[in-house]
Amino acid sequence: MRAEHVRLDRVSLAFGEVSALKDVSLSLGRDEVVVVLGPSGCGKTTLLRLVAGLIAPDAGRVTVEGAPPRPGEKTALVFQSFRLIPWKSARENVAFALPRLSRAEARQRADRYLELVGLSRFAKSWPAQLSGGMRQRLALARALAAEPEILLMDEPFASLDAQARELMQVELMRLLERRPATVLFVTHSVDEALILADRILLMSPRPGRVVEEVAVPFPRPRRDTDTRALPLYAELRSHLWERLRDMVLNDPGSDFHGRR
Amino acid sequence: MAGWTGTGGRSLRPAGAGTVLVLRLLFLGLLLLLWGLASATVPRGLIPSPATTAQAAARLWAEGRLQTAIGQSLLTYGTGLGAAVLVGIPLGALMGMVRLFGRTLDIFVFALAATPRVAFIPLIIVLLGLGTEAKAMIVFLGAVMPIVLNTYAGVLARDGELIEMARSTGASAARIQLHIVLPGALPFLVVGLRLGATIGLINTVVAELYTAVTGLGGLLALYGNTFRMADYFVIVLALAAIGVIVTESLRLLEGRLSRWRLPDRP
Repeated sequence: MRAEHVRLDRVSLAFGEVSALKDVSLSLGRDEVVVVLGPSGCGKTTLLRLVAGLIAPDAGRVTVEGAPPRPGEKTALVFQSFRLIPWKSARENVAFALPRLSRAEARQRADRYLELVGLSRFAKSWPAQLSGGMRQRLALARALAAEPEILLMDEPFASLDAQARELMQVELMRLLERRPATVLFVTHSVDEALILADRILLMSPRPGRVVEEVAVPFPRPRRDTDTRALPLYAELRSHLWERLRDMVLNDPGSDFHGRR
Repeated sequence: MAGWTGTGGRSLRPAGAGTVLVLRLLFLGLLLLLWGLASATVPRGLIPSPATTAQAAARLWAEGRLQTAIGQSLLTYGTGLGAAVLVGIPLGALMGMVRLFGRTLDIFVFALAATPRVAFIPLIIVLLGLGTEAKAMIVFLGAVMPIVLNTYAGVLARDGELIEMARSTGASAARIQLHIVLPGALPFLVVGLRLGATIGLINTVVAELYTAVTGLGGLLALYGNTFRMADYFVIVLALAAIGVIVTESLRLLEGRLSRWRLPDRP
């Protein structure tokens, strides 16, 4: 059993009238990879913001190692839209995320992590000069360079094409083998969840809550074996798909509500 | 798109710039031709020919009048515009950063910006007299408004997503302003500087006409009123040249500051 790292205790949060999360409780073990799977509108991103310490819950408690989280202290966020600073070079973008280091140290650290994601040649390039996959690797390098204990990933590969997306998933697993971290990964892709997760939390929308927890027992490293060919993979996949489909069809706020 | 380094996108620029230069020179030639034709057809020498104007410029230069007038005007212009930059940028930035401060002040700034600044000239003369201070103040009042308002707008147009990203790294408020908000406001700021520089030059001439008559504005009035049309044209061209040099310099500055955008342009 892993030691508990992050804990949410009956957390509720509303934005005005709209309830984003209702009575969400969950616990992340140290260096565990937990994927939150759910349709849009189920408060997945809100969950990450809470753990990052960017927002506070209306009710309940969020703790990291027993204390309320403070932004940038133990967590780093990776965003779907990259959020790179367009007027800073790749190196400066990574160095910006290291406010506690001196300029020289930040620069050195940035170069090390650019190397790690294979972007050394582009250290002086602006984000506009990079391809989508390269921009996401840069965003990943920025998050990893802070050497966070907890990596919070908000659909980080959703805007990449299918091929770049698979490469990035493998890349992420490779990086985590080198330097383990607790990962809370949000996606709406069933395959991505099954490939990456130790555990999947299924969330339902309006208000967002955790409705099911699925352990993913495939052996690691998964990049060597073809996990997708395992019989259990197909079984879990169809189960998760069905649950997701039901949620979307039964959600009055969804575009697909009531279709069969 | 994959693996594209962006250097290829820039190879078009020098060729394009060369073409534009040639076309501009051709257009200048056309203007001179039209000017020559006009001077030949309009009676009684109301429009001096390009050659006569060039001779007048040489004469005014030899007499030292042109340099003196340009010097006087540039002093007024530089002082007023410099003060507008020194006041306008920090004021606009502060209004954008401290929301309560900005929301309290902005309506007054808008009101002042909407009032024709010529209306203040009698007041300025009463307070500051007819000398350089009064002139610089007239330039300042014209130039400062677009600089304040554009800096303000630039800071308000900050990117909320980038700010959230910065917050998530543990960046302090000061670090976020310095690295995200202020650099993001630069394109707006440069537009404000260009507008301010243009209005400032107009106000330089206005100031020289309304207060003690000096500088290029003074000569403009003198030569215009005495029908010394060749001399008058020299002054007009000198003012145009100053305007072009200042705004083109600011455009170069803008290009340098936004180099990071270039690769995205087709």
